[in-house]
Amino acid sequence: MTEPALEIDRLVKRYGDFTAVDGISLQVARGAFFGLLGPNGAGKTTTINAIVGLAHITSGAIRLFGHDVVRDWRAARLRVGLAPQEYNFDRYLNIRDVLIYQAGYYGLRGPEIAKRADALLERFDLSSKAKQPYTRLSGGMKRRLSLARALIHEPPLVIFDEPTAGVDVELRLELWALLRELNRNGTTIILTTHYLEEAEELCDRIAIIQHGKIVALEDTKDLVGQRSLQDVFLELTAR
Amino acid sequence: MIANAVGFQTLVKREMVRTFSIINQVIWPPVIQTLLYVFIFGLALGSRIKNVQGVSYAQFLIPGLIVMQVIDQTYSEGSSSVFQGRFMNSIQELLIAPMSALEIVLGYVVAGAVRAVFIALLITILGVVFVHIAPASWALYLLTIALIAVLFSALGIIVGLLAEKFDHIAVLTTFFITPLVFVGGVFTSASLLPPVARKISFFNPMYHMVAAFRFSYTGQSDVPLALSLAIVGALAAIAFTVALRMTAAGVKLRT
Repeated sequence: MTEPALEIDRLVKRYGDFTAVDGISLQVARGAFFGLLGPNGAGKTTTINAIVGLAHITSGAIRLFGHDVVRDWRAARLRVGLAPQEYNFDRYLNIRDVLIYQAGYYGLRGPEIAKRADALLERFDLSSKAKQPYTRLSGGMKRRLSLARALIHEPPLVIFDEPTAGVDVELRLELWALLRELNRNGTTIILTTHYLEEAEELCDRIAIIQHGKIVALEDTKDLVGQRSLQDVFLELTAR
Repeated sequence: MIANAVGFQTLVKREMVRTFSIINQVIWPPVIQTLLYVFIFGLALGSRIKNVQGVSYAQFLIPGLIVMQVIDQTYSEGSSSVFQGRFMNSIQELLIAPMSALEIVLGYVVAGAVRAVFIALLITILGVVFVHIAPASWALYLLTIALIAVLFSALGIIVGLLAEKFDHIAVLTTFFITPLVFVGGVFTSASLLPPVARKISFFNPMYHMVAAFRFSYTGQSDVPLALSLAIVGALAAIAFTVALRMTAAGVKLRT
C-alpha cells in the first residue's frame, strides 16, 4: 500500500494551559493540492510547524510519506519543503547562494545543485538579481525567492504558508500558475491562505480548522456545493 | 555521528562568509587593538620592565593578547550568529533541514575555531615582525586555541540561545569575561603578584588558558601545563555538552 504524502494522527500541541492544536487527524494523498484554512489563531501555523519540525508535538503523530517526523526525522524532512509566511532569508548571502546553501543544509551540493539553483532563478524570473542580497528585492521577488528556496531540494511535498499575502493581483495569478504547474508535475501541495477564492480555485481538498480542531475536511466541490467557500467558511467558523 | 556532513560543512562555510562580510568588525579590530597594546604597553611602558619568564615584556604580552582576542572573537561568533539567526528567523533554514543538533553546534564551533586560528595567526605574524617572538610549540599553540575556541564558541551558542535582546549578549562579556581575562595573566605573570592574588588567580579559568598558551611560546608556566590543559579541556567539554543539549531540546528554537 502506498502511504499518503502526509498523515496526521490525533495531533495535540499545547503551550502551557493553551491548546493550540486539539486532536487533529487528517491525510493528504500524494499529488493532492490541499488547502488548510482557518481564522487567525486557529492552529494552522502550529500544525505546519509541527510537520516541519519547528514545533514539538505534545501527543499524536505525523508521518511524511510513511516517515515519522520525530522518530525518522531526517527522512521526513528530506521530503518536505516550506515556504514560510514571513521572509527569513540569510542576510549574508546573495539570492543564488540562498538557494545553494539551503541545498547544502539538505546534504546536496555540486554542479547539479548549481544548475538547479540557476534553473529555479530562471523559472521564478530572478536570474538578473542572482548576485544581489535579498534586501534589494521587491516584495513580490522575495515571495518568489521563498518559493524557489522551498523547491531547491526537490521535495515531493511543499507547504506554502500564505504564499500570496500582500502581493498584487498580477503576481498572485502568476504564483497560482506556478503552483498549478508544480502540482501538475506531481508535487503534493499544502496551501494555507486567507484568500478563500484562492483556496477554492486551487485546492482539490480542504480542511478548515477552528480552535485547534478540524471542523470540515472534504473535497472542495463537495464542501462548497452550490455556495461559495466564503459562505461555508463563515458558517463553520462563526464565533 | 555526523550523518549530514555536507550540511555541517555548509554551515561552517556560511559562518565564514558571515565573518568575512563583517571583516571590519571581527578581523581588523582585534589585530589593530593588539598592535596598540604591543606599542603602548609592550614597547613604550614595557621597556621599563625587566624580563618576564625569560623574555622581554613585549614578547611576554603577545601570547596573552592572542588568547584575549581568541576568547572575544569566538564568543562573539557563536553568540551573535545564533542570536541574529533567532532574531531574523533565518536559523529556521537549519531547523527544518535534516541536520542534527550535533551537526549544528559543531558547525558553529568549528567556524568559531577557524575564525580564532585566523586571528591568532595574524597576531602571531605581528609578534614575529614587531617583537621577534614566535611559538616554540605549534602543536600546543593549536591545541590550546582549539580548546579555548570550543569553550567560548559553545558559551556563545548558549547565550545566543538564551538572550532576548542583543544587550544580553554583552552581559557575560562585560561582567565576567573581560574582567577575568584582564586579571588572568594577560599583562602580568602570577609570580609578580602578591601571594594572596596569586592563589586567587589559580581559580580563574582564564589564567589557565593564558598560562597554557604562553607555554607554547616560552616553554614556561607558573602552574603545571597538564593542570591548565585539563581545566580548559574540562570546561570546553562541559560548555559543548550544555550547548548541544540545549540545541537538541530546541531551547528558544522550536516551540
